[in-house]
Amino acid sequence: MRFSTMDYFVKETYKSIRRNGFMSFASISTVAVSLLVLGMFLMIFLNTNNLAQYLESQVQVSVYMQDSATAKELASVKDKLTKMPGVVKVTQVSKQQALERFKKRLGDQQQLLSSLGKENPFPNSFEIQVDSPERIKVLTPQIGQLPKVETAKFGQEVVEHLFQLTKILRFGGIILVVFLAMATLFIISNTIRLTVFARRKEVIIMKYVGATDWFIRWPFLLEGMTLGFCGAVVASLFINSIYSGLLERIHATLAFLPLLPTYPLLLYVDVFLLVAGTGIGALGSYISLRKFLQV
Amino acid sequence: MLIMSDVSKVYPGGAMALQDVNVHIEPGEFVFVVGPSGAGKSTFIKMLFREVLPTTGSIFVNGVDILSLTPKEIPFLRRQLGIIFQDYRLLPDRTVFENVAFAMQVIEAPHRKIKRQVMNVLDLVGLRHRANAYPNELSGGEQQRIAIARAIVNDPVFVIADEPTGNLDPETSWDIMDIFKEINATGTTIVMATHDKEVVDAMGKRVIAIEKGRIVRDEKEGVYGYEI
Repeated sequence: MRFSTMDYFVKETYKSIRRNGFMSFASISTVAVSLLVLGMFLMIFLNTNNLAQYLESQVQVSVYMQDSATAKELASVKDKLTKMPGVVKVTQVSKQQALERFKKRLGDQQQLLSSLGKENPFPNSFEIQVDSPERIKVLTPQIGQLPKVETAKFGQEVVEHLFQLTKILRFGGIILVVFLAMATLFIISNTIRLTVFARRKEVIIMKYVGATDWFIRWPFLLEGMTLGFCGAVVASLFINSIYSGLLERIHATLAFLPLLPTYPLLLYVDVFLLVAGTGIGALGSYISLRKFLQV
Repeated sequence: MLIMSDVSKVYPGGAMALQDVNVHIEPGEFVFVVGPSGAGKSTFIKMLFREVLPTTGSIFVNGVDILSLTPKEIPFLRRQLGIIFQDYRLLPDRTVFENVAFAMQVIEAPHRKIKRQVMNVLDLVGLRHRANAYPNELSGGEQQRIAIARAIVNDPVFVIADEPTGNLDPETSWDIMDIFKEINATGTTIVMATHDKEVVDAMGKRVIAIEKGRIVRDEKEGVYGYEI
């Protein structure tokens, strides 16, 4: 393709978008809203998935000891735990260590500690890492039977619920994506149809002077792609600021929630939205041109 | 060279537009196609640039069987033809220059060549000074001259005109005919459907008369032959 031709296409596209100012605006807005919903959904999905994976990797049993347990009894329990089949690692957490951990987690809200007074409410405990999630179900009740053990807990249920949730999200997501994509496609192809209609005389003359179908198609395709791309940019900007803002707020209050950091997540989501928006724009134009070009 | 042999056209619904048409047009000829309204002139003209396909028969343009062209090849046939209509078909939102340049942009001619060539043809039709005007600022005759400029800007082998003076007064029609004569003098073949009796009679060119879908007359230096 010649440079002068590309130049011509770009000018035509620009003129056309301006001429259909209102419809162009409406298309960009529709694309933006659809992609915004799509993007938000994607963020929720990716985060839930990440959370489930994170929790699963933490297949550990927490064993809380009674306060009456002596150092000797603690050592004996630790010994027994270490010898159990499937146990990879046993970490002893003293009352003092548990308190320290809690202090760290509180961050700048240390004043909450003062209400505790001198009392340390945390029990002695063991954290046991096991080689597989299945093993946990068998081990946990056994551990509960050991002397001076208050309770033995594991987070498996939470993990299972989360995986179920991601499954539902994935299924609902696919339906939502298809629905949104069709709506966007419809809007863009309608806009381009109006453009084509407004320029039908021009298209007919182009055919008479020997323009190839692709020469006629390009400006319209570019128009659709531009509308899709602009919509995607708007959606991306919203998503970026919403997620960054959300992340800040959540870090302040629910610090332990393992949310995905903005980079590279936002980069991926933005690229996805831009490609999706542009692609939908091109497809929408192509659809509305198909019928029209048969002169 | 343009050859039609045994061409017939039946429109869907059974209307017989053309029947057993045989025509042979040599390079450089100036041919009028005349006949009453609805006789098949338009169908005849439209077949030349493959807007209408015949039901039977064959059409050759410069040795190419245009009926065997694929949709992708049609634009390249049309680049050898300059097509002119009764209603000019200019783009109202473009200047005279842009309207003519358009035909060259479509075939991806280089910028510099476009500028030079457009000015040349505007000179030929005598409207160089209106290059920046818009079509609605021009008279009908001037608009048709722009359409002619657009048709010849790519140096076509054939110029095909469908009633080019149909909307113009006699005096203006003569100006237009002078331009066609000039184009023809450079060796371009011209095929023109017309109702303009005076013009046909005065020009003394080849005349093909079509009536009820058949060629009833084909004379080297013919006359219009119908009473208006």
